[in-house]
Amino acid sequence: MTSVTGAALSASLGASVLAASAGAVLPRRIRPVAAGIGTAAAGAAAVVAGVAAMTGRSWSAWLPELLPLAGVRLAVDPLGGLFIAVTGAVAVCAAVYGVGYARPADGHGGHGLDGRTVQAVLPLFVAAMLLVPAAASVSTFLVAWELMALASLLLVVAEHRHRESVGQAGLWYAVMTHLGLVAILAALAGLAAAAHGESFDRMRAAAEGMSPAVRGAVFVAAFAGFASKAGIVPLHVWLPRAHPEAPSHVSALMSAAMVNLGVYGIVRVGFDLLGGGPRWWWLLVLAAGAVSALYGILQAAVATDLKRLLAYSTCENMGLVLVGLGAGGLLVTADARPLAALALTAALLHVVNHSAFKTLLFLAAGSVLRATGLRDLDALGGLRTRMPVTTAMFAVGALAASALPLGNGFVSEWLLLQSLIGSLGEGGTITAVTMPVAVGALALSAGLAVATFVKAFGTGFLARPRTPQAEAAAESPAAMGVGMGAAAACCVALALVPAFTVPGLARAVQVVLPGQDAVAGQVTLRLAAASSTMSPLLIAVGVAVAAAALLALLRFATTWRVRRRARLWDCGMGPMTARMEYTATSFAEPLQRVFDDVLAPETDVNVTPLAESAYLVDSVSYRARVGDRIESRLYRPLIAAATAVGEAARRLADGSVHRYLAYGFFTFTGVLIVLAVTR
Amino acid sequence: MSDVTYVRLLDLACGVFLLAAVLVLWRRDLAAIVRLFALQGAALAALVTVLGVHEGLDGDGAELVALAVGIAVLRAVVLPRLLRRAVADGGEARETEPLVNVAASLVVAAGLALLSYAVTRPVVALEPSPAVHAVPVALTVVLIGFFVLVSRRRALSQVVGFLLVDNGITAVAFLTTSGVPLIVELGVSLDVLLAVLVLQVLTARMRAAFGGTDLDDLRELRD
Repeated sequence: MTSVTGAALSASLGASVLAASAGAVLPRRIRPVAAGIGTAAAGAAAVVAGVAAMTGRSWSAWLPELLPLAGVRLAVDPLGGLFIAVTGAVAVCAAVYGVGYARPADGHGGHGLDGRTVQAVLPLFVAAMLLVPAAASVSTFLVAWELMALASLLLVVAEHRHRESVGQAGLWYAVMTHLGLVAILAALAGLAAAAHGESFDRMRAAAEGMSPAVRGAVFVAAFAGFASKAGIVPLHVWLPRAHPEAPSHVSALMSAAMVNLGVYGIVRVGFDLLGGGPRWWWLLVLAAGAVSALYGILQAAVATDLKRLLAYSTCENMGLVLVGLGAGGLLVTADARPLAALALTAALLHVVNHSAFKTLLFLAAGSVLRATGLRDLDALGGLRTRMPVTTAMFAVGALAASALPLGNGFVSEWLLLQSLIGSLGEGGTITAVTMPVAVGALALSAGLAVATFVKAFGTGFLARPRTPQAEAAAESPAAMGVGMGAAAACCVALALVPAFTVPGLARAVQVVLPGQDAVAGQVTLRLAAASSTMSPLLIAVGVAVAAAALLALLRFATTWRVRRRARLWDCGMGPMTARMEYTATSFAEPLQRVFDDVLAPETDVNVTPLAESAYLVDSVSYRARVGDRIESRLYRPLIAAATAVGEAARRLADGSVHRYLAYGFFTFTGVLIVLAVTR
Repeated sequence: MSDVTYVRLLDLACGVFLLAAVLVLWRRDLAAIVRLFALQGAALAALVTVLGVHEGLDGDGAELVALAVGIAVLRAVVLPRLLRRAVADGGEARETEPLVNVAASLVVAAGLALLSYAVTRPVVALEPSPAVHAVPVALTVVLIGFFVLVSRRRALSQVVGFLLVDNGITAVAFLTTSGVPLIVELGVSLDVLLAVLVLQVLTARMRAAFGGTDLDDLRELRD
């Protein structure tokens, strides 16, 4: 069967393979351009495939000879199409950007990113991410999933020769992603065994008749695996390490496309294959989402590393998506299906929005990193005049990420809020208790997000440069600007006319909740279930008109008075220096103080007295660091225990050849004795 | 050859085959161990010859007899000669301190024989022919060879232990099937020959480097 979806998806996969081979064989001079164009073409074709699937042109294929034993089974429905389209769009932006990013800059950047490995693996990574939502059997899904994990791991460690911390990040990522794979493998293998078949159709049909214990175990294992990919607390530890250390266009792909697939997995397994479940599943999802949203944004608010801040913001946004999924599942159990559809629509729309603004933000952060070699906000500043395009792009992204009106993040968070508020009266005590808490978490995280992105933009881009590197920054090449511009255009479109996504989202939601149309409208979004409306375009026009009027008024008012030029008043202290500016740390200090119990920052004050007298101070050093508390409290003891077991096991191998032979001999005779006794 | 003679000759060959392996545990003199190994090679060749003659010299049996000649050349002449040269080159003529003493080794050998009789019952029950009845003997030789590897210190004893394991496996192959294809037997023999040559070189190197071939002196070589 040929259809637009199938043809476009095949074209996309073919283009990625071509791009990968171009990256592997072409000479260094033209390699980034060829691979970048190929990857961008693959992304564009994937957008076509995804959009075609979302307009109802589903597609499936069965290629029995491609994989031994199991064969490859592909199917694209509107739900998978949504994720394919998002991944494709992110890939287009990242690929175009990557052409400029891989070119060595004067002094900084480059870092051998035009090498064969990176250029060949990046298109494969994109192809794997496109295959995951298209897989329709357990084996195909797992192969694509593992290909995605390995390709991303190779890309994360691309710059390992330049920074020590890359290796550490790669190790964390490798371990976490494989533990996640084990959980997913166990869940899907268990489900396939219980369903006596590994195609998704078979499992969907058999899921009804399974025992609640099997279904529960499958869901919990799958949720743990997918949540670790989505960066949900407490399985998020790899994310704030791996995303900052990866090359920036890879960070964008990982943070805006790969983590989405964790959400896809939860929706696919929880809602679609298992067909929904009891209330406790969704309470678990909701709680994990709420905790993740709060913890993620709190860590982002106190982070000073720009890319680490963005990575924690990913934890937050995935948490919000999970709040939506959890609320949706909970409302299905309460039989409030229209509201459930609204919550799911909000969650999926937030996935789309988050991908748009996170791509933009990571690309802009990469532009800063390439120009200055810095990620530390405390050392940046003053980029507004030196890198105007990047600054404008980051501003658009920051506005979107802080969930204020005019940004696209606002639209989906508003929808989510509406569904949570609307469900207060549904489903008895549990929802009556949970939903207000969820609303509170949502509101708090939105507020902290504003502070976070004001901090990131204000200290990073405004004011004066704090270091010579920031002072010497220059605007990035045009290709990077085009990549960021495309992402920014997506953000603006999603912010002003989000209604164009509504039909596609509705079809995606109908895959799991048939017959529900939660949101309608062209310019104004009308929510059937919550009986409320919003028109982002009208808000934007209103804000624009009001701003123009205010500016005109100010201009008019100032013409009355005589202007006098003078130096900025500095309390008579002499000229103000960049050291006097607010830094990211000082900006976040009040927040750090308020959330002291959660963050447990480590501060270290060392007072060195003069040799002659203990009362005269020679120097004071102050060091403050906010670590990840979950990492130090939960993971460090586990790692210590595993290391202890490993050290103990080393004693088994003391170097004596006889001992090694004896292990073999005793095992062999032991097995024979067991055989002789039992047979 | 009548059936009675066949069974008696088979049993005799198997008996010598097993006894040689047990005596390897008993003797400490390395030269004697090599002689015992040559004896075992001859017994294995005799075993294969008996099987071949029983099959009939005009059919598959002829190939078996040809194989027996090859086995005799390799395992009763070539390998023992290589080993003897290694003994002559080195100063160590005796297995001075085995990890398990001789008396205990013999008891262990008896235990291993019991174990292999117990384990191979299902195999024998499949086809209770005289040849298959002798499979436990061959398995015992494999286990004894393994035990020699574990309990003896000198590199030469180790080589002999390894060759005992291989002899045992070859015997199992001939006893359970009606003859191993020539190409397989050739391949295995070549492998064994190469392994012994390599081990001989290694032994000479060890002696040059450490002045002895006690394997436990190599402890420090681990990571």
